[in-house]
Amino acid sequence: MESLDANFPVRHRKLSLETNGNKTEIVLCSYEDHILVIATQIGAMGTILHARKEEGMSVEPTFSVSVIFGKRDEPMLIATARRLIDHISSYVPSKPLVLSLGLKDHSSETLKEIVAAVIENRLW
Amino acid sequence: METEYDQVLHSVAHVKIADQTGDSADVKQDEDGVKVSCFTEVLDDVTLHFQIIRLAKQIYVWIGYNSAKFGNLYAAASTRPSNTVSVATVLGGTSDNTGSGIAHRLVMKTGLNIIMACNIPKNNPLLEAKAEKMLIRKLIDLGYTMPTPLRAT
Repeated sequence: MESLDANFPVRHRKLSLETNGNKTEIVLCSYEDHILVIATQIGAMGTILHARKEEGMSVEPTFSVSVIFGKRDEPMLIATARRLIDHISSYVPSKPLVLSLGLKDHSSETLKEIVAAVIENRLW
Repeated sequence: METEYDQVLHSVAHVKIADQTGDSADVKQDEDGVKVSCFTEVLDDVTLHFQIIRLAKQIYVWIGYNSAKFGNLYAAASTRPSNTVSVATVLGGTSDNTGSGIAHRLVMKTGLNIIMACNIPKNNPLLEAKAEKMLIRKLIDLGYTMPTPLRAT
Protein backbone atom coordinates (compact mmCIF):
# COMPACT_ATOMS: atom_id res chain seq x y z
CA MET A 1 0.00 0.00 0.00
CA GLU A 2 1.54 3.28 -1.12
CA SER A 3 1.15 6.54 0.77
CA LEU A 4 -2.17 8.20 0.04
CA ASP A 5 -1.27 11.86 0.37
CA ALA A 6 0.88 12.94 -2.54
CA ASN A 7 1.60 16.30 -0.89
CA PHE A 8 2.98 14.93 2.31
CA PRO A 9 6.76 15.28 2.25
CA VAL A 10 7.42 11.82 3.68
CA ARG A 11 6.60 8.85 1.50
CA HIS A 12 5.64 5.64 3.18
CA ARG A 13 4.69 2.12 2.22
CA LYS A 14 3.03 -0.55 4.32
CA LEU A 15 3.20 -4.27 3.74
CA SER A 16 2.41 -7.46 5.52
CA LEU A 17 3.93 -10.91 5.20
CA GLU A 18 3.61 -14.30 6.79
CA THR A 19 6.84 -15.95 7.93
CA ASN A 20 7.16 -19.12 9.99
CA GLY A 21 3.56 -18.82 11.07
CA ASN A 22 3.99 -15.25 12.34
CA LYS A 23 2.41 -12.23 10.72
CA THR A 24 4.96 -9.49 10.15
CA GLU A 25 3.89 -5.93 9.50
CA ILE A 26 6.44 -3.79 7.72
CA VAL A 27 6.36 -0.02 7.29
CA LEU A 28 8.92 1.81 5.17
CA CYS A 29 9.27 5.61 5.44
CA SER A 30 11.54 7.84 3.46
CA TYR A 31 12.51 11.08 5.20
CA GLU A 32 14.75 13.75 3.78
CA ASP A 33 17.80 12.55 5.61
CA HIS A 34 16.92 9.07 6.91
CA ILE A 35 15.18 5.88 5.96
CA LEU A 36 12.96 4.28 8.57
CA VAL A 37 12.03 0.60 8.40
CA ILE A 38 9.71 -0.89 11.02
CA ALA A 39 9.20 -4.67 11.04
CA THR A 40 7.01 -5.91 13.82
CA GLN A 41 5.39 -9.14 14.92
CA ILE A 42 4.81 -8.11 18.52
CA GLY A 43 2.89 -4.87 18.00
CA ALA A 44 5.77 -2.72 19.18
CA MET A 45 8.94 -1.36 17.67
CA GLY A 46 11.17 -3.67 19.70
CA THR A 47 14.86 -3.26 19.09
CA ILE A 48 15.92 -0.13 17.21
CA LEU A 49 19.14 -0.08 15.22
CA HIS A 50 20.97 2.68 13.44
CA ALA A 51 23.13 1.97 10.40
CA ARG A 52 25.19 4.39 8.37
CA LYS A 53 27.68 4.30 5.55
CA GLU A 54 30.97 5.71 6.68
CA GLU A 55 32.78 8.36 4.68
CA GLY A 56 36.05 6.72 3.85
CA MET A 57 39.00 6.90 1.57
CA SER A 58 39.12 3.22 0.71
CA VAL A 59 37.47 1.64 -2.31
CA GLU A 60 35.40 -0.77 -0.25
CA PRO A 61 32.59 0.93 1.64
CA THR A 62 32.44 0.59 5.39
CA PHE A 63 29.34 0.74 7.53
CA SER A 64 28.64 1.59 11.11
CA VAL A 65 25.79 -0.40 12.64
CA SER A 66 24.69 -0.16 16.24
CA VAL A 67 21.74 -1.02 18.46
CA ILE A 68 20.38 2.19 19.92
CA PHE A 69 17.45 0.76 21.84
CA GLY A 70 16.69 -2.79 22.93
CA LYS A 71 18.49 -6.09 22.55
CA ARG A 72 22.21 -5.72 22.21
CA ASP A 73 23.07 -9.41 22.23
CA GLU A 74 21.45 -10.51 18.97
CA PRO A 75 24.02 -10.47 16.19
CA MET A 76 21.42 -11.47 13.60
CA LEU A 77 19.63 -8.16 14.06
CA ILE A 78 22.85 -6.26 13.47
CA ALA A 79 23.53 -8.40 10.42
CA THR A 80 20.08 -7.56 9.07
CA ALA A 81 20.70 -3.84 9.50
CA ARG A 82 24.08 -4.22 7.84
CA ARG A 83 22.50 -6.04 4.88
CA LEU A 84 19.86 -3.37 4.48
CA ILE A 85 22.18 -0.36 4.73
CA ASP A 86 24.45 -2.02 2.18
CA HIS A 87 21.52 -2.15 -0.19
CA ILE A 88 20.15 1.29 0.63
CA SER A 89 23.49 3.02 0.28
CA SER A 90 23.85 1.80 -3.27
CA TYR A 91 20.75 3.83 -4.11
CA VAL A 92 20.87 6.75 -1.67
CA PRO A 93 24.35 6.80 -0.20
CA SER A 94 23.81 9.69 2.19
CA LYS A 95 20.78 8.40 4.06
CA PRO A 96 21.32 6.43 7.25
CA LEU A 97 18.88 3.73 8.23
CA VAL A 98 16.82 3.50 11.38
CA LEU A 99 15.61 -0.08 11.59
CA SER A 100 13.12 -1.29 14.14
CA LEU A 101 12.72 -5.04 14.60
CA GLY A 102 10.02 -6.19 16.99
CA LEU A 103 10.09 -9.89 16.27
CA LYS A 104 8.98 -13.02 18.08
CA ASP A 105 11.37 -15.17 16.15
CA HIS A 106 14.89 -14.08 15.23
CA SER A 107 15.66 -16.96 12.92
CA SER A 108 17.68 -16.22 9.82
CA GLU A 109 14.87 -17.42 7.53
CA THR A 110 12.50 -14.80 8.93
CA LEU A 111 15.10 -12.07 8.73
CA LYS A 112 16.01 -13.00 5.17
CA GLU A 113 12.36 -12.84 4.17
CA ILE A 114 12.00 -9.45 5.81
CA VAL A 115 15.08 -8.14 4.00
CA ALA A 116 13.80 -9.52 0.70
CA ALA A 117 10.39 -7.91 1.20
CA VAL A 118 11.95 -4.55 2.07
CA ILE A 119 14.25 -4.64 -0.97
CA GLU A 120 11.43 -5.67 -3.27
CA ASN A 121 9.20 -2.84 -2.03
CA ARG A 122 11.82 -0.21 -1.66
CA LEU A 123 10.98 3.49 -1.65
CA TRP A 124 14.42 4.73 -2.64
CA MET B 1 -0.37 39.13 32.87
CA GLU B 2 -0.75 35.92 30.96
CA THR B 3 1.50 35.52 27.99
CA GLU B 4 0.43 33.73 24.86
CA TYR B 5 2.65 30.84 25.90
CA ASP B 6 0.81 30.49 29.20
CA GLN B 7 -2.51 30.57 27.41
CA VAL B 8 -1.49 27.80 25.03
CA LEU B 9 -0.16 25.74 27.94
CA HIS B 10 -3.42 26.13 29.79
CA SER B 11 -5.41 25.07 26.77
CA VAL B 12 -3.19 22.02 26.31
CA ALA B 13 -3.88 21.07 29.91
CA HIS B 14 -7.61 21.35 29.32
CA VAL B 15 -7.75 19.06 26.32
CA LYS B 16 -9.99 16.37 27.70
CA ILE B 17 -9.46 12.71 27.06
CA ALA B 18 -12.60 11.47 28.79
CA ASP B 19 -15.02 12.00 25.88
CA GLN B 20 -13.74 10.14 22.91
CA THR B 21 -15.59 10.75 19.69
CA GLY B 22 -14.44 9.50 16.36
CA ASP B 23 -15.02 6.35 14.46
CA SER B 24 -14.03 3.57 16.80
CA ALA B 25 -15.34 0.97 14.39
CA ASP B 26 -12.47 1.68 12.02
CA VAL B 27 -9.96 1.34 14.81
CA LYS B 28 -11.33 -2.04 15.85
CA GLN B 29 -11.08 -3.44 12.34
CA ASP B 30 -7.48 -2.35 12.14
CA GLU B 31 -6.52 -3.65 15.55
CA ASP B 32 -4.32 -6.34 14.15
CA GLY B 33 -2.85 -4.13 11.50
CA VAL B 34 -0.63 -1.12 11.46
CA LYS B 35 -2.27 2.22 10.74
CA VAL B 36 -0.37 5.18 9.34
CA SER B 37 -1.84 8.70 9.55
CA CYS B 38 -0.20 11.75 8.03
CA PHE B 39 -1.30 15.36 8.18
CA THR B 40 0.11 18.83 7.87
CA GLU B 41 -0.79 22.01 9.74
CA VAL B 42 0.31 25.50 8.87
CA LEU B 43 0.84 27.96 11.73
CA ASP B 44 1.70 31.56 10.85
CA ASP B 45 4.83 31.07 8.77
CA VAL B 46 5.65 27.59 10.01
CA THR B 47 4.59 24.29 8.48
CA LEU B 48 4.31 21.33 10.82
CA HIS B 49 4.09 17.81 9.41
CA PHE B 50 2.80 14.99 11.58
CA GLN B 51 3.06 11.29 10.98
CA ILE B 52 1.45 8.82 13.38
CA ILE B 53 2.05 5.09 13.03
CA ARG B 54 -0.10 3.03 15.34
CA LEU B 55 1.23 -0.36 16.30
CA ALA B 56 -0.76 -2.61 18.61
CA LYS B 57 1.11 -1.72 21.79
CA GLN B 58 3.05 1.35 20.83
CA ILE B 59 2.73 4.53 18.84
CA TYR B 60 5.41 6.06 16.65
CA VAL B 61 5.12 9.76 15.97
CA TRP B 62 7.15 12.04 13.73
CA ILE B 63 6.91 15.82 13.86
CA GLY B 64 8.52 17.72 11.01
CA TYR B 65 9.25 21.44 11.23
CA ASN B 66 9.20 22.94 7.74
CA SER B 67 11.06 19.95 6.30
CA ALA B 68 11.07 16.19 6.09
CA LYS B 69 14.15 15.74 8.23
CA PHE B 70 13.96 12.94 10.74
CA GLY B 71 15.31 14.87 13.73
CA ASN B 72 16.05 13.34 17.10
CA LEU B 73 14.47 10.14 18.33
CA TYR B 74 13.02 9.72 21.82
CA ALA B 75 11.39 6.82 23.61
CA ALA B 76 8.94 7.50 26.42
CA ALA B 77 6.74 5.31 28.56
CA SER B 78 5.28 5.09 32.02
CA THR B 79 7.45 3.12 34.38
CA ARG B 80 6.51 1.03 37.37
CA PRO B 81 6.00 1.17 40.30
CA SER B 82 4.85 4.73 40.66
CA ASN B 83 3.58 5.31 37.11
CA THR B 84 5.95 8.17 36.50
CA VAL B 85 7.00 8.82 32.93
CA SER B 86 10.52 8.14 31.73
CA VAL B 87 12.02 9.54 28.54
CA ALA B 88 15.20 8.43 26.82
CA THR B 89 16.95 10.15 23.93
CA VAL B 90 17.60 7.29 21.56
CA LEU B 91 19.16 9.02 18.60
CA GLY B 92 20.72 12.42 18.18
CA GLY B 93 19.94 15.39 20.35
CA THR B 94 22.15 17.26 22.72
CA SER B 95 20.91 18.18 26.14
CA ASP B 96 18.09 20.32 24.82
CA ASN B 97 14.61 19.23 25.72
CA THR B 98 12.64 20.12 22.62
CA GLY B 99 11.38 16.68 21.75
CA SER B 100 11.80 14.98 25.08
CA GLY B 101 9.40 17.42 26.77
CA ILE B 102 6.74 16.74 24.17
CA ALA B 103 7.25 12.97 24.44
CA HIS B 104 7.01 13.16 28.22
CA ARG B 105 3.75 15.12 28.17
CA LEU B 106 2.31 12.93 25.42
CA VAL B 107 2.71 9.85 27.60
CA MET B 108 1.31 11.69 30.61
CA LYS B 109 -1.75 12.82 28.71
CA THR B 110 -2.44 9.69 26.73
CA GLY B 111 -0.99 6.81 28.72
CA LEU B 112 0.55 5.36 25.55
CA ASN B 113 3.96 3.90 24.95
CA ILE B 114 5.57 6.38 22.55
CA ILE B 115 8.52 6.53 20.18
CA MET B 116 8.87 10.04 18.83
CA ALA B 117 11.05 11.63 16.19
CA CYS B 118 11.03 15.40 16.10
CA ASN B 119 13.11 18.11 14.42
CA ILE B 120 11.57 21.19 16.03
CA PRO B 121 14.38 23.60 16.85
CA LYS B 122 15.10 24.46 20.43
CA ASN B 123 14.25 27.70 22.23
CA ASN B 124 10.77 27.75 20.79
CA PRO B 125 8.42 26.75 23.61
CA LEU B 126 5.33 28.27 22.00
CA LEU B 127 5.77 26.19 18.88
CA GLU B 128 6.40 23.10 20.98
CA ALA B 129 3.22 23.65 22.92
CA LYS B 130 1.16 24.18 19.76
CA ALA B 131 2.60 21.09 18.07
CA GLU B 132 1.90 19.06 21.19
CA LYS B 133 -1.68 20.27 21.37
CA MET B 134 -2.35 19.41 17.71
CA LEU B 135 -0.85 16.00 18.16
CA ILE B 136 -2.82 15.18 21.28
CA ARG B 137 -6.01 16.34 19.65
CA LYS B 138 -5.33 14.12 16.65
CA LEU B 139 -4.51 11.13 18.84
CA ILE B 140 -7.80 11.59 20.65
CA ASP B 141 -9.71 11.98 17.37
CA LEU B 142 -8.17 8.80 16.04
CA GLY B 143 -9.17 6.99 19.20
CA TYR B 144 -5.67 5.90 20.12
CA THR B 145 -5.58 7.24 23.65
CA MET B 146 -6.06 5.02 26.69
CA PRO B 147 -9.37 5.33 28.53
CA THR B 148 -7.74 6.27 31.82
CA PRO B 149 -4.82 8.64 31.45
CA LEU B 150 -2.04 8.68 34.02
CA ARG B 151 -2.84 12.15 35.23
CA ALA B 152 -6.04 14.17 34.99
CA THR B 153 -4.41 17.38 33.72
